[in-house]
Amino acid sequence: MTTVGLALVRELAVAVQAPRMLYLHWPFGHALGEPGQRDQQRTILHDAFALARIAPHPGLVVDLPYQWRRHAYAPVMDWATESETLREAMERAEAIC
Amino acid sequence: MTQDTRITPGNRAREALARWADRSPLGQRVAYWIGRTAGGIQLRLKIKGRADIPWTPMNKPLAEATVALVTTGGVHLCTDQPFNLSSDASFRVIPRAATSDALCISHDHYDRRDAARDINLVFPLERLLELEQEGVIGHVADVHYGFGFVKDPLELIAAGRKVGAQLAQAGVDLVVLIPG
Repeated sequence: MTTVGLALVRELAVAVQAPRMLYLHWPFGHALGEPGQRDQQRTILHDAFALARIAPHPGLVVDLPYQWRRHAYAPVMDWATESETLREAMERAEAIC
Repeated sequence: MTQDTRITPGNRAREALARWADRSPLGQRVAYWIGRTAGGIQLRLKIKGRADIPWTPMNKPLAEATVALVTTGGVHLCTDQPFNLSSDASFRVIPRAATSDALCISHDHYDRRDAARDINLVFPLERLLELEQEGVIGHVADVHYGFGFVKDPLELIAAGRKVGAQLAQAGVDLVVLIPG
């Protein structure tokens, strides 16, 4: 069984040593974003599903760069392919590793 | 039930702090610092020395996978017993048929007002059901799990293993873990 976690405190995401984590610099209680923002919520699920599929090794914590209330979210068109945002965020995470 | 009645009332001082933390940039920084310091130190001390990080690759396309949610946002059926707000390592089972107005939140370490308006912020079951309908994911699992606030993360190990076993027994392929 594969797991992917969302995190709102980066240091906890690292400390917990989970297989795959996506970190969002957003307020507590808002892991999927803002109320009623369906495209935003689906974007986060898209990134989570993609990380579950393509994460190369255990323990990766990927910082998603979406800024709280300052990012416009388009509908997810291709669920089978990871977003450019996630791909770049993974490259940054791997560089830190 | 209304949005307000679906939130289990908590400690007033903590409630005020959580609302301040949610609504102001300074509050968000302070809340983050508290979470990082208190939770981070505790976890580092207690998880220190674990040899291997568990790893199960996705062995099935998403369009064929069964997906489940585990939230630590204090979500449970309103008909179930609320979590003890001071610390509670038990879990609640949430069926896939649960509608958002049948779900309550018992957790006073974050501002739950937005989550009460849209439960998908901490428990995106409606989003998953949409994706199942669209054929993006294979199936939404029959049951999902909610946890509340826990002071000592070690207390979660037994409950976590039990939930993991139940998810595996249910044939779940992918679990999305969501914090409060």
